[in-house]
Amino acid sequence: MPDLFDIKLVFTQIPELLKYLPVTLELTVAAGVIGLLLGVLIAIVRVKDIPVLKQIVVVYVSMLRGTPIIVQLYISYFGIPILLKYINYWNGTNFDVNGVPPVVFAILALGLNQSAFMSEIIRSSIQAVDEGQVEAAESLGMTANQVRLRVLLPQAGVIALPGLMNSLIGLIKGTSLAFVCAVVEMTAAGQIMAGASYRYFEMYCSLAIIYWIITAVLEWLARLLEKKLSIPQEAPELQLAVERTVTND
Amino acid sequence: MIRIRNLVKKFNNHTVLDGIDLDIEPGEVVAFIGPSGTGKSTFLRSLNLLEKPDSGTIQFDDDTYDLSHISKKETLRLRRSTAMVFQQFNLFKNRTAVENVEEGLRVVKKIPKNEARQRALSELRNVGLEEYQNHYPQHLSGGQQQRVAIARALSMKPQLLLLDEPTSALDPERVKEVQDTISLAAQEGNTMLLVSHEMGFVRKIASKVLFLDGGKIIEQGSPEAIFANPKTPRLQSFLADIESYDPKPVVLSPQA
Repeated sequence: MPDLFDIKLVFTQIPELLKYLPVTLELTVAAGVIGLLLGVLIAIVRVKDIPVLKQIVVVYVSMLRGTPIIVQLYISYFGIPILLKYINYWNGTNFDVNGVPPVVFAILALGLNQSAFMSEIIRSSIQAVDEGQVEAAESLGMTANQVRLRVLLPQAGVIALPGLMNSLIGLIKGTSLAFVCAVVEMTAAGQIMAGASYRYFEMYCSLAIIYWIITAVLEWLARLLEKKLSIPQEAPELQLAVERTVTND
Repeated sequence: MIRIRNLVKKFNNHTVLDGIDLDIEPGEVVAFIGPSGTGKSTFLRSLNLLEKPDSGTIQFDDDTYDLSHISKKETLRLRRSTAMVFQQFNLFKNRTAVENVEEGLRVVKKIPKNEARQRALSELRNVGLEEYQNHYPQHLSGGQQQRVAIARALSMKPQLLLLDEPTSALDPERVKEVQDTISLAAQEGNTMLLVSHEMGFVRKIASKVLFLDGGKIIEQGSPEAIFANPKTPRLQSFLADIESYDPKPVVLSPQA
């Protein structure tokens, strides 16, 4: 039996790969935060139907959802230096084009890509909140901001959670394409290591295991959060008014 | 004294309310009856600007609001003088019964947490639901939800309570508990505007009844006058239509 598959290696090389996990997580967290914040803003523009801005964000979302993430990473990687050079040329400034760390290109591309998907999730969640909830808050005399913060966003947040988690899981795996921006994260590191040993199959098996575990942990956290935010199925016990019975006797 | 003058509301080019005038004395219960789609609910919703009227004023004692040209600040002030009970209850789904009642006290009236909780509990006690304070709306029956909604509205101490078909969405066996709660609030001197299709209840609770049709008040008067002695043909035919409905179950006899 020839030594075609070294199953031991699949597990023994995982610690070596995990050294690059922080890069993967950095990309995920940074792009996720950008995506969420920008996504909320875009969703508000669309829900409030703000003229001009709305048309712009519709095109923005359509473009970012309609092009492959790998193309967007390349555009960011090659386009931003060109843009900086033009800015230097027009304004006589002297931005150091080569001084931009590669991770910035990747975070920007992944973050903008996320914002497009997340904005749609947030928009549909805001619109899914029952109009009666808003009217009840308004009829109490709440200000528009109070209605937003106390009624609309908390309820929309619960609706949006599963979709946002889905998007985040997609993002974690999307970071594996960051190598095109010269970022050495886990997958890129694995490819480099496998290039030396020619154990490509084992390497991709190791990577698959790591990504799967990260995602599983995230799913578990999401379930905890969902459980915490959702309304309990079971009705609580009745609160018997003990004091009152005593005083009435 | 609450004075409403020349309330007009159009949806596109369709005039739903065609210049409604109404005076309400403190402690009075004014009921609106009339066919569906005649603007009864729109009238209530215009008074706290959930709908924006095309013209009209409302005056609380010395406070006059021009409903069609009203600033955001004035809108909030007007809404804080009124409170609304909705057909679909509209309790905040993610808050317990007591939190629902507490919400306006804390957020709008800025009452400290402990005091707001005490007041909310006492409002819940008044509608007989203190024991259900920690229940979420989904744990409550429709009737209980509506009673919490009434407690929430009354907690704001409104000068005018708006009740928009408060029993229409309830199972028949839950209607009475909500009607009793409303009657109690009326006895306690709350000024109310009620839209209802329950004629028996209107007859019992209202001090004044208005028959609305085609966006206009066609006839108004005491419950006795309206129900026993309707003057206009339209009210007569409206009441005849309702009374000809026999709520007794139809017994089907087997075909011979």
